[in-house]
Amino acid sequence: MEKKVLSIIKDTFELEEVQVDISQNNCIKWDSLNHLNLILEIEAEFDVSFDPEEIGDIKSASDILSLLKKRNIN
Amino acid sequence: MKHYIFRNTTLEPLFKSQDAEFSGYDDISDINTDADIFSWFYLLPYQHDMDVLVKQIEFYYQNIEMVYNRIPETKFFCIFTLHNPFGAPIKTGDFSLRNTIQNFNQNIIKFSDSRSNVKVIDISDFVSNNKTVDFIDWKYYFISQMMINPRLAKNFKGWFESQINAIISKRKKCLVLDLDNTLWGGILGEDGITGIKIGGDYPGNCFAEFHKSIIELKNSGIILTICSKNNKSDVLEAWDKNPNIIIQKSDISSYRINWNNKAQNIREIAEELNIGLDSMVFIDDNPTERELVKQVLPEVTTPDFPAHPYEFPNFIEKLVRDYFQTYNVTEEDLNKTKQYKSNSERSAFKKSFDDFDQYLRSLEIDILIQAASEFSISRIAQMTQKTNQFNLTTYRYSEGDIKKFVQDGYWVFTMAVKDKFGDNGITGLIIIELDESNKTANIDSLLLSCRILGKSIEVAFVSYILNKLKAHGIKEVNAKYLATAKNSQVKDFYEKIGLHHASEVKTDSSEKKYSLQLEDFGYKEDDIYNIKEE
Repeated sequence: MEKKVLSIIKDTFELEEVQVDISQNNCIKWDSLNHLNLILEIEAEFDVSFDPEEIGDIKSASDILSLLKKRNIN
Repeated sequence: MKHYIFRNTTLEPLFKSQDAEFSGYDDISDINTDADIFSWFYLLPYQHDMDVLVKQIEFYYQNIEMVYNRIPETKFFCIFTLHNPFGAPIKTGDFSLRNTIQNFNQNIIKFSDSRSNVKVIDISDFVSNNKTVDFIDWKYYFISQMMINPRLAKNFKGWFESQINAIISKRKKCLVLDLDNTLWGGILGEDGITGIKIGGDYPGNCFAEFHKSIIELKNSGIILTICSKNNKSDVLEAWDKNPNIIIQKSDISSYRINWNNKAQNIREIAEELNIGLDSMVFIDDNPTERELVKQVLPEVTTPDFPAHPYEFPNFIEKLVRDYFQTYNVTEEDLNKTKQYKSNSERSAFKKSFDDFDQYLRSLEIDILIQAASEFSISRIAQMTQKTNQFNLTTYRYSEGDIKKFVQDGYWVFTMAVKDKFGDNGITGLIIIELDESNKTANIDSLLLSCRILGKSIEVAFVSYILNKLKAHGIKEVNAKYLATAKNSQVKDFYEKIGLHHASEVKTDSSEKKYSLQLEDFGYKEDDIYNIKEE
């Protein structure tokens, strides 16, 4: 699952490579629009729907991973 | 191709990985004139005060005019229609919003009519093709001002591309068609000219409709060609002899009917017509042939072919959408409504004529009377099976029965009717048993399809046949009416055309017998109908 999330981040942001610690702080491509695109991709890929509050709180790849784990996706 | 899009909501996810630049929300101050194509893509705002909303929409239209003046005339300006995705108005009788939206849409159409670089894109076409997904996902509206559900992004992209392709006229030019199991069911070389399935019942009716859609493409400027593995002489003969084949040889600009490989044939067709391989679409039911063409001529578009003939309507719609759409409001509208047009035009016509004969004359009705042939026998049997209302005896016959009638010297005549609005095909039938030695005839069956009634065609048809019997030397005609649950509309038909009761009418009038001395019969053909016999 982690691999899949990282590869979605990489494709959505059109990055050369992606580190597991990627976050809004260390990635300039992670702007509000790409944030939206990323959430859409993740929701579609894992067939989940995040709450608006959760979407607002997501700042990093690990935030996404823990939200998915909360939904029993591993 | 670079896009510049004026917008009032978040649209970016819909145009992902396309070269598009966006205005600010509701912002017309800035414009990038380097773009190749401009669009005005506003969505109806989520606004509860109807008065404000109405003013807002009127304001949009004024803004469009201002924006237009700043777009170079050499570049396209596409204006999206507005549509109302919101339900449940509080006042169901208040049509001000609906009218305002309609006005807006009519105004932009008018605006585009007089400006060649302005085109209208109808968002409601997209909406009606994507009914299974909610147009708005409110979560995304409230977190990111998206007025269109981002789950529609993929569909939107395809739809928008086809709209733009239609506008910049990136349509394909040429259809390359296979024959066996593509334009008709079965294999001509094996099933023979009358054995192939085209016209009549399923699946022939699917192929017939398929032909008609292809003819519409031809009428819109698409070149039709044929590439088929067959004996050329067989195909030429089928064209010549099977009247159910709608796409005629004269509709075909070029053909290769031989046993050579199809890639080679298609290349030759392209050279002959002097068109690029990339402007051709190859239609073939055989996956092997498609694969060959895909591999050898990747420039040619080779779509998959439906597994069942009943899927043709969807198939052709997709073909049109993907490859053959063109922007032309009037022509497009014409094509869209053609099916309904004939009947509604006929009745509109009827209103404008006081004199019924004059109305009939204006329809330019052609009646074609033909003796049964191998091409019409299945249609004849089918008519006896299915016609209930205008059917004097309601005898049901099989194809074998009809063939036997013909062999036994019965007169079996069909009537095909067409008028200026369309061809109804074979819609009338009469079967007459002749007794040559006694010079009498008996009308065994007489039936007409209901869709041609109301024009006195039935009288002309029967009268023509009676005249023909008279000319043949027949002195007396007998006929009968057998009542069923459904044919009461014809219970007085024979009286109407001048036949007399031959015996007492049964009290329950379930059966009436008639007879007519033909020397008393004089029907003058008039010029309302153009009756021909073949």
